[in-house]
Amino acid sequence: MPASALENDINIGQIKSAVSLGQKAAHENKDEELDCSCAVIKSENFSFYYGSKVGVKDITMDILPCSVTAIIGPSGCGKSTFLRSINRINDLISNTHIEGKLLVNGHNVYDKNTNLVNLRQQVGMVFQKPNPFPKSIFDNVAYGPRLQGIKSRSKLQQIVEDSLKAAALWDEVKDELKKSALSLSGGQQQRLCIARALATKPNIILMDEPCSALDPIATGKIEDLIDKLQNDYTIVIVTHNMQQAARVSERTAFFCLGELIEYDSTVKIFRNPGKKQTEDYVTGRFG
Amino acid sequence: MHLNTRQITDKAFTVLTGASVVLLTVVLLIVLGPITWRGAKAVIFKDTIEFRKMQFALYHRGNYEDLQSEIAEVHQFRDAAYLIIDEFKHGIDTDELIDESKQIYRQFGKELKYKGTSGAEYQQIRSLAREIRDKLQATFQSNDKQIIQENIDYILQYRTNGEFVDTAAAGFFTLGEDFLKSVENIDLDKRQEYAGALQKVEDIILHLLGPKPDDPVPALSMDRYGATRWDLAQKLLDQLLWSEKWVQKEADQPMIKVRTLRAEQFEGTKLEPLFGYVQSNLDRMMKPMPTFYWRYFIDDSTPGHYFGGVGPEILGTLLLTLLAMIFVIPLGIISAAYLVECASDNMAVRIIRMGINTLAGVPSIVFGLFGLAFFVLFLIPLFGGASKPCILAASLTLAVLTLPVMIRASEEAIRSVPQTYKEASLGLGASRFRTFMKVTLPAALPGILTGIILSLSRVAGETAPILFTGAVALGPLPKSLFDPTRTLSYGSYDIAVGDRLAMMVPHKQYGMVVTLVLLILCLNAVAIILRAKVFRRLRGN
Repeated sequence: MPASALENDINIGQIKSAVSLGQKAAHENKDEELDCSCAVIKSENFSFYYGSKVGVKDITMDILPCSVTAIIGPSGCGKSTFLRSINRINDLISNTHIEGKLLVNGHNVYDKNTNLVNLRQQVGMVFQKPNPFPKSIFDNVAYGPRLQGIKSRSKLQQIVEDSLKAAALWDEVKDELKKSALSLSGGQQQRLCIARALATKPNIILMDEPCSALDPIATGKIEDLIDKLQNDYTIVIVTHNMQQAARVSERTAFFCLGELIEYDSTVKIFRNPGKKQTEDYVTGRFG
Repeated sequence: MHLNTRQITDKAFTVLTGASVVLLTVVLLIVLGPITWRGAKAVIFKDTIEFRKMQFALYHRGNYEDLQSEIAEVHQFRDAAYLIIDEFKHGIDTDELIDESKQIYRQFGKELKYKGTSGAEYQQIRSLAREIRDKLQATFQSNDKQIIQENIDYILQYRTNGEFVDTAAAGFFTLGEDFLKSVENIDLDKRQEYAGALQKVEDIILHLLGPKPDDPVPALSMDRYGATRWDLAQKLLDQLLWSEKWVQKEADQPMIKVRTLRAEQFEGTKLEPLFGYVQSNLDRMMKPMPTFYWRYFIDDSTPGHYFGGVGPEILGTLLLTLLAMIFVIPLGIISAAYLVECASDNMAVRIIRMGINTLAGVPSIVFGLFGLAFFVLFLIPLFGGASKPCILAASLTLAVLTLPVMIRASEEAIRSVPQTYKEASLGLGASRFRTFMKVTLPAALPGILTGIILSLSRVAGETAPILFTGAVALGPLPKSLFDPTRTLSYGSYDIAVGDRLAMMVPHKQYGMVVTLVLLILCLNAVAIILRAKVFRRLRGN
């Protein structure tokens, strides 16, 4: 149909321009070659089952440090499941089991001896909907450090300030740290959640569709923030928005029906995908 | 659906909901209005001099001099009434008159001995006195006015006898004269009837005015005072003026209550003016005054529930309620936390859940019996306590009673905390316990407080569970948790079933009920304000 063909054309055009824009910044000093030895998250034939239902199956991929990795795919393809397996937040769901290995900083997270507290402090997480606690802004950010046993007021204040600055929220809230986090706008709340995740000093941040509940301006701010954070943190972001994936990420993984279809540099995925399924998806022919 | 139809149904729905709200309000007013009105009478009412006398004697309230002058004032008017009764009584109370004559005779004998009158003379005077006495007694028992007249005339001729002047024997003559005067207007054949009717009048007067000043002080303090309230005084006045009788006019017809003027029973006698006198002088005899008896809420009651207030009852209710809350709140929250956070969906948990739901519907008397069997007879003796009803057992029973409510409300509250809060906390590396304590519980607090409000209202008003486990109708203030206590709910139950009291102190019963409602309202208000505060903090404004 001519109408849908036209839409597809526009879609592809937008994505291509976004990719070329994002590339400049992201790829100046990064090697295009895959270097497995320094992978911070290493998935080896990892499968996750909800009862007998497959969540993800046989995922093998390496995520590089200090970069942004996007996971895209249609709904129900297991991208969130995979992300949530990395810090084992999936444990909340009963009656699940896994196969294969998932290494974070060299440790198998599904090992029996894994210290969940340590793991989750290394791997921060930002959720789809902004979910600040119904406490003050200060208490939200200080929640993680307090868990680590930091009690000194001045130390906490320093951490809160640093985290809020890192999350580009400090200037907006510095005078009202006592105010409830719920009084902030959606975009601010999401940045607060990022600040909260940063406060525990993780080296990996998982983002599960962090902008899906936000308007374009707030989304832009978050994307700028991701861009800034990738210098110090390894970021894995799940997104439905392919333009966003193209804008912020260096590498992109395409999931479909619980399987990893293709995993390569973002440029390659969007410009010259290796698989037909990927091409169909990124050009909007399905999904 | 057609647009018009939709608008009409929408409007109908609005009207219906509005009507139901109005209906609810009306029902509440119909139910609470009269109770509140009557309950308020326990605190705001017109008291009488008897009330002030009682307050001074029991609690040392009021000014002694003022009270004494008031008493003197009312006695001017009361004495007149007593006089009328006494005069009438002289004419009809044969037994008492005979007793009196015997007493005079004995007194006279003693006087003679004291004077040292010699043997023969003593015998002579004494036999004369005996003759007068016997004559008098015969006169008293006679129903013939002529004989009475003759006898009295015969006796009075001895009046001027030297032996009798200025001695106890002079009493014979006044007695005789008084009797003559008294029987003047009386149909002597109806004397028995009069005696019965007079007894009733005297009873009512006793309840109205209290014992006479020179009567011995009654043993029960409730008998020491007349009508302490003006409304009670008026009720008694009505009883005094009207006599009620159930009459069967025709066979196979229900009996009818017939009210007749009591004065008619005494028509033409010396007692007749009494009724008019009391009616027109009642306020001077009682001195009614409006009072605001706020001490109703702190006073102990003496004796029984008759006088005084509901202080110990309020204290006991508060004690039981708060203690039960101390038991039920942590237990309820922990159980709810287990059911939501830890329990998996297996058979055992399903049975527990079903058990909780069933317990919520069990009649409270069953909990009362359970409390008696388990806490009073088993658990407390097991730990070396005395096996008797006590505050501890009662509050534990109440806690068990309301536990299902608490668990269910807390469960709902905890379940409704967004999963994202938990995820956020766990994602930051918090343990499950820490997440529950720091995130889930504070967020669930408004819902839990709702559960507390529900439990509180239920606990404060329950009677059946404490019936056997720790409530008493009367008794001293509890000294420890191992003593039983009085409570508002049990107190009103006790008055309601103690029928004599219920009729005499209806204000007390309604006062207790209204106090209970007020108390629950106050406790709820505290919880609601607390909940609003927590809610505002959670909402962040």
